[in-house]
Amino acid sequence: MENEDRNAELSEWLLAYRTACPEPEASVNFMPEMWAKIEARQVSTNLFGRMAKALVTAALAATVILGMMVSRASHQTESTFNGTYLEALSADHASTLEPLSLDRISELEQQ
Amino acid sequence: MLVEFELIQRAQQGDASAFNQIVSTYRRRILGTISRLIGRPEDVEDVAQEVFMRLYFSLEQLRTPEVFEPWLYRLTVNACYDYLRKSKRRLESRMADLSEQQVMMADAVAGSKVQSDDAEKRRVRDTVNSLLASVSEEDRILLTMKEVEGLSLKELEKIYGVNENALKVRLFRARQRVLKNMKGVTPRPPASAKSGEVE
Repeated sequence: MENEDRNAELSEWLLAYRTACPEPEASVNFMPEMWAKIEARQVSTNLFGRMAKALVTAALAATVILGMMVSRASHQTESTFNGTYLEALSADHASTLEPLSLDRISELEQQ
Repeated sequence: MLVEFELIQRAQQGDASAFNQIVSTYRRRILGTISRLIGRPEDVEDVAQEVFMRLYFSLEQLRTPEVFEPWLYRLTVNACYDYLRKSKRRLESRMADLSEQQVMMADAVAGSKVQSDDAEKRRVRDTVNSLLASVSEEDRILLTMKEVEGLSLKELEKIYGVNENALKVRLFRARQRVLKNMKGVTPRPPASAKSGEVE
């Protein structure tokens, strides 16, 4: 019951609020100020758009340059290793890195 | 709808005079709504200009005439919400001043009849503003749109984009939160302040 009363009271306050608020009138500067804000937003939007375009162009150019560099590097790598994997290992003197075996110790003694 | 769709279409094509006509038609209504939503007369024009600026930049997306007014209301609600969120601290400080204001109102009531009416209206404004300042911006705006602006649930559905039941729940909860803060705040509103008709 008390809750209903308070609900009704709140409704009365809210209803009274509408008539208690004065109807605001727009000042003479309302329209010029509004258009000034619109134009300012347009200028900043255009500036942002130009910056975005410049960034996209720069990113594209960087991508092309990097692509060319990577492709050139991979081309050079291919020309160095034309043989098989085993041939490449022997060319690289990989045997010198193998663990020492008894045979190889005798080879070293002979030297 | 207060304007022809043809006028909106002209504004969509960049006709500034058509846009001016739309603004002139809705300006008074929007200013009134903003005034009641934010409760700060000195900032009403700024917020209204923000609303019409947002309308200008979003107008080209409008395809059907029947959504124009709900859309304009949605822009109004969003602009008020942004404003209230930014000035939350100021609103809170105003709430703290309430008791002092009420004392001043009580003094003012002792004056002449005209002064008395003004004082009563001011008391209503200050009391409701303080009550609404004690809840979130969402609650404040929703309650004001429903109870003060007198929008129907159907209209609110279009503005908020949620169904009627969800709105009822939100409204109930918002009312409960305001009622919680209403305890011991004020006597009933004066009869003269609520005698005006709602548009």
